[in-house]
Amino acid sequence: MSEFDAIVVGAGPAGSSSAIKLASSGLSVLLVERADPPGSKNVSGGILWGNELAKVIPDWEKNAPLERFVVSKGTGLLTDDSLISIDFRSKKLENNKTGYSVLRAKFDQFLANKAKASGATLVTGVTVDKVAFKDRKVIGVEQEGDVISSDVVILAEGANPRVAIDSGLREPIGDRDVAIGIKEVIRLPETTINERFNLRGSQGYAGEYVLGFLKDGVKAGGFLYTNKETISIGAVINAADLRANNSTYSYNIMEQFVTHPFIAPYLEGGKVEEYSAHLVCEGGIKSVPRLSGDGYMIAGDSASLGFSNGLVIQGMNYAITSGIAAAEAAIEAKTKGNFSAASLHSYDEKLALNYVLEDMKNFKGIEGVTWSSLMHKAVPRIAEKVFFDMFYETGEPKRHLSEILLESIAGSGMSKSQLILEAYRAARRM
Amino acid sequence: MQIEEKLSLLNYKTDKGYEHITVKPDICAVCPDHFCTFACPASCYTLIEGKLNFKYEDCVECGTCFFACSHGSVAWSNPKGGHGVKYKYG
Repeated sequence: MSEFDAIVVGAGPAGSSSAIKLASSGLSVLLVERADPPGSKNVSGGILWGNELAKVIPDWEKNAPLERFVVSKGTGLLTDDSLISIDFRSKKLENNKTGYSVLRAKFDQFLANKAKASGATLVTGVTVDKVAFKDRKVIGVEQEGDVISSDVVILAEGANPRVAIDSGLREPIGDRDVAIGIKEVIRLPETTINERFNLRGSQGYAGEYVLGFLKDGVKAGGFLYTNKETISIGAVINAADLRANNSTYSYNIMEQFVTHPFIAPYLEGGKVEEYSAHLVCEGGIKSVPRLSGDGYMIAGDSASLGFSNGLVIQGMNYAITSGIAAAEAAIEAKTKGNFSAASLHSYDEKLALNYVLEDMKNFKGIEGVTWSSLMHKAVPRIAEKVFFDMFYETGEPKRHLSEILLESIAGSGMSKSQLILEAYRAARRM
Repeated sequence: MQIEEKLSLLNYKTDKGYEHITVKPDICAVCPDHFCTFACPASCYTLIEGKLNFKYEDCVECGTCFFACSHGSVAWSNPKGGHGVKYKYG
């Protein structure tokens, strides 16, 4: 007889959503979180996209600690001297809210408390070392040599999944699975944020940038999200490039981004309140491990479930959806009285049916586009030259756009055929 | 803003009795790249007169060094008992 029906490791969006679903369906649940209070070790960019949370917290939009809703979505290319950007700003995003900025320390504490209110036993400040096995079946978790038993363990420990790795349930994380995320939270008066980003009330801006100014083959993206009275700004750095370069400090890339001539004015006069770092799942479907087995399932970032195509970075919605799917699989297993690999495989099937694995399969290889030289080097340079040459008045006869474009491509360091090939590949994968 | 200044903004509950990350000095002494010094966002790994110096106290538990080190020097565990970094915003 197990002490709990289910043990959930990690009280982030995946773990807490899972625990809410399990507990409200009448299962006995232990939710173990190593941070105290819950949320105090969690970091994300963080825009929460979608309405997945409604499945476990119907009134979340009213009651969760949300910062602003995204009314303006920017995508920009940064070179040393220029910012070339497209902003999608729409009343449609006001009437159909789809993205909210959140600060995870507060947000995740809200989710963990919801799990507790649903009947889950929440323990904080407790670090699970490993899962416990009996006859190669997971039978609970181990902490300081003590075993707490359960019929099923759901691992939702985030992007640095120590328990899953140390228990041999997934391969260690490598360069191709993650990017290095660095973030700062910068305090500014609400009115200043509204003025600088052309916002009113709870409207928010979410921008993704290509840091095309980086040298020596290092590639990184940037993000800038508005909160009520702070700005979340960060860099997402390709680990393999940083390794190949081996002379650029990750934190200096972040500093270059926040001091860029067209980013710094957004932040001017602001007080840096917090510096943080977190891995970002970027490996796509190739990084996803075996999702379930005898007595266990892996959800959220721990299972590398996330999506990024350069225009948008998503993780929390995948975490919530996978956490709920794991809970549903556990509830069915409980009804059947069968927690074997075959029974829990219904988790994999649920993820295949909803958008999580579908997206990851459909966009297989997208990471090759988001991290391509085309996107990070050639396109920013070409765009800068095209726009500058178009707008710069020389007093000489004007040239056709096609002529400027060809000349800009010639100066981009990529051959025309290489560019066409890469652009075709990119378009196909996006 | 220097990285030291950024790190000084953070709150930690430091576990004085337990280092959650350890390195093997023999391996680091002959390391050809010291990629950890470039990768770690919290500058926990630095070279002092050519010798690798590691301090776990500034660690933000991101996990970068575990895969950054390709020479098997870094042993990584989560801090215990609620110790380690405590974010206010996250």
